[in-house]
Amino acid sequence: MSETDPTVSGPEPDLDPLESVPAPESPPAPGVTWTAPTEEAPTQPWSSGRDPDLPGCDTCPICGGVIDPDGYCTQCGAKAQSGRDHFSEAPASWVAGVCDIGRAHRCNEDALATAATDEPGQLAVIVVCDGVTTSQDSDVASLAAARRARDLLWSDQPQGLGLSRTRASATAQRLRQAIQQANRVVIEATAPDSPNPASSTIALALIDDSTCFWASLGDSRVYWLPDQGDAVLLSRDHSLAQSQIDQGVARAVAEASALAHTITKWLGLDATDLEPCAGHLRLDQPGWLLVCSDGLWNYASAAAALGRTVERAVLEPEPTDSPLVLAQRLVDWANDQGGHDNVTVGLARCSV
Amino acid sequence: MVDFSATVSQNEFLPDQGTDVHAIVQLTCQGAGSAGRSGLGEVGEIIIVDTSGSMIGDRVEMAKRAAAIAVDSILDGTWFAIVAGTHQAFLAYPRVFSGQGMVRMDQASRQAAKAAIASFRADGGTAIGQWLLLARKLFASVPSLVGRHAILLTDGEDYNETPTQLDSAIRGCIGQFQVDCRGIGVDWKVNEVRKIAQALLGSVDIIPDARDLPQVMADLVQQAMSRGVADAQLRVWTPQDAQILFVRQVSPTVEDLTHRGSPINALTQGYPTGAWGDESRDYHIAVRLPAKSVGVEQLAARVQLAIGAQVLTQGLVKARWSADPSLTARISPEVAHYTGQTELALAIQEGLAARAAGDDRTATVKLGRAVQLAAQTGNEEATVKLRRVVDVSDAATGLVQLRRDIDRADEMALDTASTKTTRIRG
Repeated sequence: MSETDPTVSGPEPDLDPLESVPAPESPPAPGVTWTAPTEEAPTQPWSSGRDPDLPGCDTCPICGGVIDPDGYCTQCGAKAQSGRDHFSEAPASWVAGVCDIGRAHRCNEDALATAATDEPGQLAVIVVCDGVTTSQDSDVASLAAARRARDLLWSDQPQGLGLSRTRASATAQRLRQAIQQANRVVIEATAPDSPNPASSTIALALIDDSTCFWASLGDSRVYWLPDQGDAVLLSRDHSLAQSQIDQGVARAVAEASALAHTITKWLGLDATDLEPCAGHLRLDQPGWLLVCSDGLWNYASAAAALGRTVERAVLEPEPTDSPLVLAQRLVDWANDQGGHDNVTVGLARCSV
Repeated sequence: MVDFSATVSQNEFLPDQGTDVHAIVQLTCQGAGSAGRSGLGEVGEIIIVDTSGSMIGDRVEMAKRAAAIAVDSILDGTWFAIVAGTHQAFLAYPRVFSGQGMVRMDQASRQAAKAAIASFRADGGTAIGQWLLLARKLFASVPSLVGRHAILLTDGEDYNETPTQLDSAIRGCIGQFQVDCRGIGVDWKVNEVRKIAQALLGSVDIIPDARDLPQVMADLVQQAMSRGVADAQLRVWTPQDAQILFVRQVSPTVEDLTHRGSPINALTQGYPTGAWGDESRDYHIAVRLPAKSVGVEQLAARVQLAIGAQVLTQGLVKARWSADPSLTARISPEVAHYTGQTELALAIQEGLAARAAGDDRTATVKLGRAVQLAAQTGNEEATVKLRRVVDVSDAATGLVQLRRDIDRADEMALDTASTKTTRIRG
């Protein structure tokens, strides 16, 4: 508590401060009254300077802002879509595909690779791989595998031999070779001492002069969805669910079990069996050939259910015959169902 | 070489239609070095000693010893000055009338300063705002200073100024220097001094016994001398259309920074954090975003530490909307802990204010809640100090009675320590 009466004390406002300075020897006050030389304008040491402009590595798909090196937009904060998280391919007007991270996963381990001639129905390759989430580097391995298989099938194409039984058998053999090449690529992407080596499914479709050859390892699928008539699931999964179905369990029941998605064949260092399910079919009526990962068929597994889904997606919001538009609509649909897994859709429009 | 790092603790998952993102960002400084020795610029230290009439007797003698010890603790080469405060502010050392109001510490200036301190005697009133304004001018008279720290010792109420005059003086000093405040005895006002310490990025504490003063001063100066980073700034970037709900330091003490920000650019606010030694500080950041559809991920905030224009570290606060209740229902343990600690600080201050106003019912409820929160969040120091003010029947439910025989010093110690927090355990 101060002992000075505030009404009679305090600095005299009119007093020249220097006059109140006492002699140093006998100070009535404990120091001198000091006058500032110049009163500088207060500075805010921490408000100086702006962030140096950070180099943009990309443009934000939402707002057009600059993407920071930290992977998010500098304006709206949107997560930058890496080229790996979402990409599409449309090598020709009748062949296209979309590969998407989905809504729940942190990484897109699905992969897609396509090729096609301009002439509809003449020649196309669609490859879908689904890297196994619980293994390491599966995103790198799956994309490398899909591209190697696609390149092989595209470059070694024998032309103009007609569709003899011999040729069909030779083509089926080339699909097997493509799978073996893809397997090598997956192994190359894996550290030799990896405790959890990269692994992936693969489903490939080759359309040659309106005949579709397919092969698959794991649970990525090939469907034929004619405009008229019944949809067909061409491939056959290598999965515990399929084993149960084979033993007479209803598809809906088998695919709802906890281990349904456990695959029994795959690409990778620890793969034991590279023999795919395979076959061929003459595409003799208008329709869609669809190659997809389980991120799509999880929500419509039976051929008829997926057929109805595709039929709706073709018509709404407005009718389309573009495989790219349809593929994006199917990916959006899967994401609307929850997007629990990566989603990949490859499509060829057959209009014989 | 100084190194800052950032760690973010949060649950980034928001439910459908969810908008509010909370995160605890821990900033850690390593390799700060000593004040003024890191090549980042010179530092200044001013010791402000209350020499008003109420200090007469033991107190002024102890304060003189304490100030002398403080002078001994200031590193050679540091710019310094001694201010004696009554209803006026006097420059006790250096005894110059104009020009540079601070000198470098060396053997000669140390002896001269101690001689000046020895001549202090208690007389006159108290006008703390005047002392602060003089310190500001003294610091400004040495433009090369990058670090400016003061220690303010007082024992009485700010009797010769109106609250408006004091507030105006404090405002004039914000951003100019940091001040740690210590109150001697029980005749000073915790709220008044805490106001100064909070605005000027310092601490406040009670020294009930003047005999402890020399040790306290030595510790304070050594702490200031160990802060090799003179001035750093917390920066919070939020996306366009987002709203910062609050920015709070939550460890080692609770300090609300929300309204202390200044714009760095359209989307970034800068908040003063003062000087840093080798230490960690935790910040609770809350941001409101427009709700996005389930599955979308975005950034809610970039939390950065900057020295000058250079950003030294960054933590990312994220938002991901999910339909999975097992993801969205979880509350980050760090966020929960510091939310409790912040409520604890408020409950103590409100409880003591109610007691001072004679509202024992409110005081009992608030301090009971504080006892409960201190127990829940494992704040041992608060628990010990609360038990000197209330008798606890059941800490779990917060059932307490106000003690009849409360020592004023205990009550003030509870008040000054109310903002101190504990870190989460485990």
